[in-house]
Amino acid sequence: MSLEPNFTADDGDWICSRCGVPLEQIKVQALYMHSAFDVILPRCPSCGLTLIPQSLAEGKMAEVEALLEDK
Amino acid sequence: MLEQSQLHAIESHCTQESAPRCRTACPLDMDVRTFLECLAADRGREARKLLERHLPLPGIMTAVCDHPCENACLRRDLGGGLAVSSLEKFCMKNVPPQTKPLIRPPKKQSLAVIGAGLAGLVTAFDISHKGFSVTVHHEGGKEDALLAAFPSLDRASLAEELNALETFHVRFVQATFDEALLRQCSTDHAAVFVDASACALAPGRDDIDASTLLWKENICCGGWQSRTPTGAAYASASAQAGEGRRAGITIQRIMTGVSLVAAREGENRKNRLHTPLDGIPPLPRVLPAGEIYTAEEAGREADRCIRCSCMQCVKECPFLQKYKEFPRVYARKLYNNASVVRGTRTANVIMNGCALCGQCEEICPERFSMADLCLQARQDAVERDVMPASAHEFALEDMAQASGPESAFLLEDPSLADGDRHSRTMFFPGCQLAASRGDQVLAMYRYLRKTLPGGASLFSICCGIPAHWAGREKLFQEHAETLRRQWEACGKPEILAACSSCMSALRTAMPEAVITPLWTKLDELMPEPFAAAAPEAMNVQDPCGARHDKAWQKAVRSLASKAGIRVEEAKRTGEESACCGYGGLVWNAQPDVADALAKKRAGEFSLPVLTSCIMCHDRFASETETWHLFDILPQTASCGTHQEKDAPGLSARRAGRAALKEKALEEFLGEKPASRHDEEPIRLHIPEQVRIAMERRYILRQDVVTAICGMEKSGAKFINRDNGHILGSWRPRNVTFWVEYTADDDGSFTLVKAWCHRMVVAGATQPVEKVILEDKVHA
Repeated sequence: MSLEPNFTADDGDWICSRCGVPLEQIKVQALYMHSAFDVILPRCPSCGLTLIPQSLAEGKMAEVEALLEDK
Repeated sequence: MLEQSQLHAIESHCTQESAPRCRTACPLDMDVRTFLECLAADRGREARKLLERHLPLPGIMTAVCDHPCENACLRRDLGGGLAVSSLEKFCMKNVPPQTKPLIRPPKKQSLAVIGAGLAGLVTAFDISHKGFSVTVHHEGGKEDALLAAFPSLDRASLAEELNALETFHVRFVQATFDEALLRQCSTDHAAVFVDASACALAPGRDDIDASTLLWKENICCGGWQSRTPTGAAYASASAQAGEGRRAGITIQRIMTGVSLVAAREGENRKNRLHTPLDGIPPLPRVLPAGEIYTAEEAGREADRCIRCSCMQCVKECPFLQKYKEFPRVYARKLYNNASVVRGTRTANVIMNGCALCGQCEEICPERFSMADLCLQARQDAVERDVMPASAHEFALEDMAQASGPESAFLLEDPSLADGDRHSRTMFFPGCQLAASRGDQVLAMYRYLRKTLPGGASLFSICCGIPAHWAGREKLFQEHAETLRRQWEACGKPEILAACSSCMSALRTAMPEAVITPLWTKLDELMPEPFAAAAPEAMNVQDPCGARHDKAWQKAVRSLASKAGIRVEEAKRTGEESACCGYGGLVWNAQPDVADALAKKRAGEFSLPVLTSCIMCHDRFASETETWHLFDILPQTASCGTHQEKDAPGLSARRAGRAALKEKALEEFLGEKPASRHDEEPIRLHIPEQVRIAMERRYILRQDVVTAICGMEKSGAKFINRDNGHILGSWRPRNVTFWVEYTADDDGSFTLVKAWCHRMVVAGATQPVEKVILEDKVHA
């Protein structure tokens, strides 16, 4: 089992429009202000296009951004 | 960055932490306010604990104290000072002792007290409780001196207190007070205290140093009689006890070899705390039905305490209320924040939450300025590159848009275009008036051109105040230089400013320029009354930027009066006016504070409100009936939009500025734009609730359009197989925008939702090809 936080799409059955394949939960790196985090996000296994759900962007991600900005 | 001494100087302007008058009046520094608060809240044990902590010999002191606190009490003229004396007696009688002082093994040094008066016993109490042994010399019985001074003292409780003293290594010795005894004591003990109320050897009060009460060598004195204003002598228990305590401090310093005078300023407290008394109704003193208060009576009497406190600025400002402190604490927090090298700067939110409006400085009796403090902190943070990037980014981008080719323009009076002549006046509407009221700006310009001798130019650009508010002085200076060059190129005309923030920015940028409020000029140009479809009676909002500009304020009222409006002054107008929430970029850094400011200020108006600043108008519009001066002036009223409850949003503002430029250049120079600003490459429908949500996230319509165009072109998007929604992102700058939309049958698009984040995630931004390449290299 992976230890990285895992975020799935908020709702719906999303596919990559170009590759026509379903997204998979894949580990990617999120970067902000000289800090990097590994997160697992829905991603196209073929072209790498990665989806950031609204709940993550306005929840945890916003929190971490604010925290890093005050560092 | 602030020096510590500067911090102390700033802090000292906020008196909220200063002691209330009851406490400064007490020579023993009794925390009367908290004591009363405890009694009022039925927390008798805590009240008794306070008495025991602050008062020496509490059983004796509460019985004989002459309570200067009662005279100093601010309730004195509002029903009578609090009955502190009776409440203390109630507390001592009804609440059992709460503290058990630790009896320590005696230290080597000892004190001799000559005279068992109140001062002598207080010194004996204080010094013995520090672990030194004390010998108290007395003539006659050991209680005699006290009973002579305070005949009402209860013998039994006196004996009890003196016995308690004996357990703390205090020895009572009968002696004859003479020079020999004094010499002997001075030699045998580390220090001596002579009680003037019981021993004739003591010098007069005026003959020794008042701050240390040191007489000579290792001998201190205290316990003199006090005098009434008419000159009668009496024994003031509080004064004598206070002298005993003060001498005790000196004696302890003698024993421990510390400077007798250093850092003792705090012992002479001054009444610095400002307590506003407006609106506090008088309440008569609660008198006990019996000899002493019952618990219920004591609670009611203690509850009469007005809990002296300043907080005048905090009561007025939602920002100061948000972090539940007051300016003195904020100053300290900002200072500590600036000292953080590694770690979290938790006070960044304080620095960026202030509207820099200056109201607190006007309200504060000591003129404490949160604006100066917060602005300096911002400038410091920018200089050290620790300013949170997101705090003012959108506002600064907005400034760039208002000053860039899309929106900014300088239109010399077309009638003077041939030759080198320049117009004598320059109309400077400000970027927000241009954004919100483009048609009225043009209408006003037509009028000014026609009316003002020597012609008028129109300069539509940002004044640069956002950079100043963001603490970016370099950017502000650069922008100021640009403005100055253009103004000089126009022959240094008189500037007519329609925005108070512009006025202050322009005055800084070009101090030698004549800058006049537009309203003052209009008031001169229109001496006669004019018809206006405005409410009969109105409140006036003075913009915070013009709080010191009497000419501005007067002209607005004069114009209103000519329009037939009866102006009724609302709470806090003129210098004390409150901010709408636009100031200091707080709308960008902390929209919740900005909204609270707007709501609070709008709530203070009882009539429709007339504003002379477009941001005041736009921020109050959704809260109360608001009119801008342009809505009542005959030159502009006909193309007004005051009926619209909601002010234009962020996207509409940018579009408004661009539209103004297009219209102005077309009307006055005949220039047809190559492409109109409102021609979008796609047809996009944004439902109203989605638009409102976008505004809150600072997502512009233009961002959505570009994102959809990019995605449709590159194909880098996701499809929801359940409902056909399309999703993708675009990162034009430090923000990634996500748009979820539908492609409609008629070729247009409808936005479903939009969100954004600042973090960079590989593969989550366009152009996706590049990211994938980088990704592969890293892999």
